[in-house]
Amino acid sequence: MISLQLFSTYESNAFLEIAISALKKKGIKQEDIFAVPLDNRTEERKVFDSLHRSDGISLVDIGMALATAFSVVGASIGFKLAWGPIYWGLISAFIGFVLGFAIRLITELVLKKKKRVLRGKHSEIILIIDCKETQAELIENILWNHFALGVAKVN
Amino acid sequence: MNNYTNDNTARRYKAHVSVLGTTQIHLRNPYIIGWWSAAFPGFGHLLLSKYLRGYALFIWEVIVNIRAHVNLAMVYSFQGNIDLAKEVLDTRWLLMYIPVYLFGIWDSYRTTVDMNKIYLLANSEDHRFNTFSLGAVEMNYLDKRNPVISVMWSLFVPGLGQLYIHRILTAFFVIFWVVVFFYYSHIQEAVSLLFLGKVQQATSVLNPEWLLFLPSHYGFATFDAYMNTVENNKLYEEEQKNYLKRNYQATGFRILKGQKVK
Repeated sequence: MISLQLFSTYESNAFLEIAISALKKKGIKQEDIFAVPLDNRTEERKVFDSLHRSDGISLVDIGMALATAFSVVGASIGFKLAWGPIYWGLISAFIGFVLGFAIRLITELVLKKKKRVLRGKHSEIILIIDCKETQAELIENILWNHFALGVAKVN
Repeated sequence: MNNYTNDNTARRYKAHVSVLGTTQIHLRNPYIIGWWSAAFPGFGHLLLSKYLRGYALFIWEVIVNIRAHVNLAMVYSFQGNIDLAKEVLDTRWLLMYIPVYLFGIWDSYRTTVDMNKIYLLANSEDHRFNTFSLGAVEMNYLDKRNPVISVMWSLFVPGLGQLYIHRILTAFFVIFWVVVFFYYSHIQEAVSLLFLGKVQQATSVLNPEWLLFLPSHYGFATFDAYMNTVENNKLYEEEQKNYLKRNYQATGFRILKGQKVK
């Protein structure tokens, strides 16, 4: 029997585990499946970026804070203005948010010269399956059907 | 039913999945947490998943603020009407408002700094924690959710974003209070009148004291839902990677060095 290996990459999600369980049902042994979780560059950067900041929310945190503050003041003053407190509350919330967001963008993009961040889907896990040549097509189909980002066969 | 029983072999855990929600210790900016406590006492603690403290401070704020007319005084002050602001404040209630308000900010700031240190230690210890919880009344498990959807539902009605990400204790509390604030501020009547173009009438129907609670309520609910969606997603990825490393890295596995075939 000729041995064959299938390399595939995945996003980190439930489909990956469903794919593995499907493979096991088809007789692939656990020790013939090898998974390599990748350290993605965005995540690396986040952890070292700052100790005191919650990552991922960094772009909206000041925006939400300023939106709330502006909205309270805007709604209060709005009682005296022609458009009333609701419109002015919403307008000032929007202004606050845009202002806070702009502050964040400036600090992130201009002051920190950020590394380029990968956009959209990217590979987070490499999955390697060791199998017989006869099983290759079946396994390849299982991998593709569970949203592998890429698959390659090596003999 | 949990998929892992805490045997207390870890010195520190960084997360716990229960039927009531996913509790996580993660890095947070102490100034941002402090800010939410300033916007509304209790919010900082709710963001930290310290619910009982958060509830106590929140309810305190609503009762004492309304009784002392702090919000009304704020409205008059922002309008430049300082005399009216002084007049409306009820000194029978006012003084006790201040220390508790400042305590909320200080304590949530302090706790955040502390918990960031705990996180660093728990993260390097990287002990297993419960990730799946199935019970008679609810079920909860680590999952990936869309932060934009969290924000969208939170903007419709605060609290729905928390329901979406299974943050039950915040969801119930926020939804209860949003109904109270909607009712006493008369905001829905005002919005209906705005749709009809009756701006003056909409303004006059509003109760400013109760209306002023709403911006921070919306802001908090949205931010909390968004932040926790992002953090839950990160936790999911980390946990899955650890699981794969534990189970799918057999030492006998050899990589073939042949050719790529079609």
